[in-house]
Amino acid sequence: MERESHLQSSLFVLCGDHGMNDAGNHGGSSIGETSPALLFISPKFQTKGMQRESPVQAASSMQYYRTVEQADITPTLSGLLGIPIPLNNLGVFIPELLSMWDHGPQRIHILLENAKQLLNTVKATFPGYAFDPKSNPPDCDSGVRTGVEEIQCTWFRVLELLQRSEGIAHPKIELALLHFSKAAQNLMSSTSSNYDLTKLNLGLCISGFAVLISSTATYRTVLKFRNATVFLILSTLGYGAMMFASSYVEEEQQFWYWIFTGWMFYLHIRLFNKQSIFLSCESASKKRYRLSAPSIAKAASPACLSICQRILRRWNQTGQKFTGEPDIARTFLSKRPIALWSLVILTYADTCLHLVLAVPSSRAWRLAAVTVTMVAFIFKVNFVASDSPELFHTSSLEWIGNINVSLVSQARLVFGGIALLIIFLICVNKMASSSHSRQRPPYIAFHELLTLFLITQSRATNVPLFSIFRSQFYIIHSMDLMDIEVTITSLLSQYMTFFAFGGSNAISSVDLSSAYNGIGSYSVVLVGVLMYISNWAGPIWWASASHLLRPNPTRGERVVRIALLTFHVTASLMSVMAACTALRTHLFIWTVFSPKYLYTVAWSMINHIAINVFSEAALQSLERK
Amino acid sequence: MSSTPPSPSLSTTTQNPPTPKPSSPPVPFLPSQAARIYSFAHPFLLLGLLGLRFDKLVADPVTELLNDLPFLALLQVGYVMTCLPPAGSGYAHGHGHSHKAVGETGGSGDSAGEEKRKTNPVVRAGKAGYRRRQQKGEAGGFSVKLIPALLSLTLIFLLATPVLSILLVLFGAPLTTHNFETVLCAAHMAVLSTTALIYVHGVDGAVWKEVWGIARPSDGVWGGALGTCVGAWFGAVPIPLDWDRPWQAYPITILTGAYIGFAVGSLIGRASFLYGKRIEFTPEELGIEKKVD
Repeated sequence: MERESHLQSSLFVLCGDHGMNDAGNHGGSSIGETSPALLFISPKFQTKGMQRESPVQAASSMQYYRTVEQADITPTLSGLLGIPIPLNNLGVFIPELLSMWDHGPQRIHILLENAKQLLNTVKATFPGYAFDPKSNPPDCDSGVRTGVEEIQCTWFRVLELLQRSEGIAHPKIELALLHFSKAAQNLMSSTSSNYDLTKLNLGLCISGFAVLISSTATYRTVLKFRNATVFLILSTLGYGAMMFASSYVEEEQQFWYWIFTGWMFYLHIRLFNKQSIFLSCESASKKRYRLSAPSIAKAASPACLSICQRILRRWNQTGQKFTGEPDIARTFLSKRPIALWSLVILTYADTCLHLVLAVPSSRAWRLAAVTVTMVAFIFKVNFVASDSPELFHTSSLEWIGNINVSLVSQARLVFGGIALLIIFLICVNKMASSSHSRQRPPYIAFHELLTLFLITQSRATNVPLFSIFRSQFYIIHSMDLMDIEVTITSLLSQYMTFFAFGGSNAISSVDLSSAYNGIGSYSVVLVGVLMYISNWAGPIWWASASHLLRPNPTRGERVVRIALLTFHVTASLMSVMAACTALRTHLFIWTVFSPKYLYTVAWSMINHIAINVFSEAALQSLERK
Repeated sequence: MSSTPPSPSLSTTTQNPPTPKPSSPPVPFLPSQAARIYSFAHPFLLLGLLGLRFDKLVADPVTELLNDLPFLALLQVGYVMTCLPPAGSGYAHGHGHSHKAVGETGGSGDSAGEEKRKTNPVVRAGKAGYRRRQQKGEAGGFSVKLIPALLSLTLIFLLATPVLSILLVLFGAPLTTHNFETVLCAAHMAVLSTTALIYVHGVDGAVWKEVWGIARPSDGVWGGALGTCVGAWFGAVPIPLDWDRPWQAYPITILTGAYIGFAVGSLIGRASFLYGKRIEFTPEELGIEKKVD
């Protein structure tokens, strides 16, 4: 910059967005991490005699030269560039850089623009104050003043000085303007974090009431199924406590993986106890221990379930601390297209087979099911070809990827096909209820259609997860679990699989890639629904699968299931709200705790009420017919 | 015998009629003064040593774990030989604190089971030799104690370590990296948890089935073993925290949890309010009512 003549009046701003700790990491709240560097570099400073000593002695406080508010950068750059200050700016021009202007009136103009803009934001926030010395006479001599009144008085002083500006030295006016701007900045920063505690506490009370109601509904199951309920309550309490620690919120998946291993351990003990009683009854009659093949398979099922869970756990590395470490979806499969596509094809074929077998003795259904699955697979191949071609090269699937039908129409074809198959199921159902000779199509047909839909809404690298789900489903099915155990397994699986798909509690991890499938022009509702489905594909699948795992539950069993799920949801909602209220001044309130609150809202409003409760109620009403 | 359970999930074995007869009653510590004192001191000694070597462990886990393993094994062997009755000595099932054991878990089913076991050579084959020697002399014969101790060390490294390594991976330990750490952590856990179990119970199949099903009645030996595993599970809790401490690296917290779990488990497991009790399920949870209906 010094050498080139055309760069003589240029300014180079070096601005860090964070510092770092001794280990070189950032994201914490230590002084090193929250003190980023800010450098203004320009040859102009030399000519103005504004040089600073460099390098300076290292200081543990990380405070060098002067601390500048981050918000102050905006009005400073606007002033230096000669452009208007942004409307909602809360910064104050950095006074050191005023010496860029030699003339007093220019400097005052810069500061006055800044002050007027700040005054407008103050006026917008406090409409009750006119800031006009004529309409309400200043009462600035009395001692006690509120923050706004103080600002008002400072402003009146600025106006007074400006009116008599001829006789007064410019530095005095500059000082008054800076004083006003700083005071306005302080006031506005305090109001922007001015929480309505009454409403926050009211919300807390309501959620606490909901916890109370749902826990009284679960009270009876506590007596009947003591250990399982104690497990659920302890894990819910642990989850609630976790919401107060920012790193546990960021690493929530670790909690679900951890608690799920504990649940596998519990199921192992429970099955062993049942098994040993069964064996002792048998030995009493036959006087001999006998290990049959199914009993060995049953004893090994928690171990098999753990193996599946271990694979799920490594599928997508998510969260903050271990993100970017090698995993299956992004590291292993991305580099091995043949392995990826073999698994994807296997999943599609498996789904197709189950779909075909779901409604026996109907040739039309079989034909339609195979066609729709084929169309869905072709859509997936084309989608990947256009969305992430890196998953594709060297694969022999490219001939499918050259179809000249737009992705939107292909997706509509898939959704339309699935909708037609659902209508077909409903018709068969109606016919079956009118004539008793025909058999009703089982719920599994609907579940398989849902699986196909969820696969369509998932990233290609996540499609094989559905095969793992299916293996887990059969293992759990073979365990012959109690109703409450199925409920807890499905609850844990719902949360666990959300993270296994790559989700986390950061807003940035929301996956939008499948949210526009089949949508021509933007629509908030449709994109929102598709986005929810593609991000919560795992939870939706397990909510549906849990209906299959409980054959013919009574109405009471359904109520208990909903009560237990509601207990978990309300308790976690309450703890997240309590954490956000208690930590509202925490450094990470907007980056960690508030996003978690939004996610909890999605979990409780959509996943709990719309998926879990609604499907349970729908099945109950269908059964009554 | 019919005391109310202190915790909702635990109860005396005799309260649950459908529970099958226990394969082997809980094992009390030897009645001698030295055994009684050292059985209390040993868990604290291990924790103290862990604290002493902790900085070295954080700096270089693999070397430190490998170097400490022989000492840990020696300490554990010394502990079981001082404080516990060897397999087949008959101490575990009759002498010592027998009045307490019978008082807690006794009952017709229990004593019948014991009788059956004593007369059943199939179940305890291979330890007949110990028993014969035992019947001749006093319980303190050194070779009588040494052979089960050597047996337990062999089995720990041949069987318990691989099994625990697999379990560690299933519970979330890395598979593609840190393999030495996993195996060494499993070896430490195996020495902590299994030395006493093998020393006291030998290769009694019924006991090991109960161990696999976490269905053993509570005593100092089983408390230490279960405590090691549960402690290791809880040891994973601090890993996700963003504190950037070197000790958060795998497997340090897991191992620390295992040591603490062993100490807590062996001290609590022998306490009178837990002694002889096991994890119990309600009839509904075991699906018994379902079958009756």
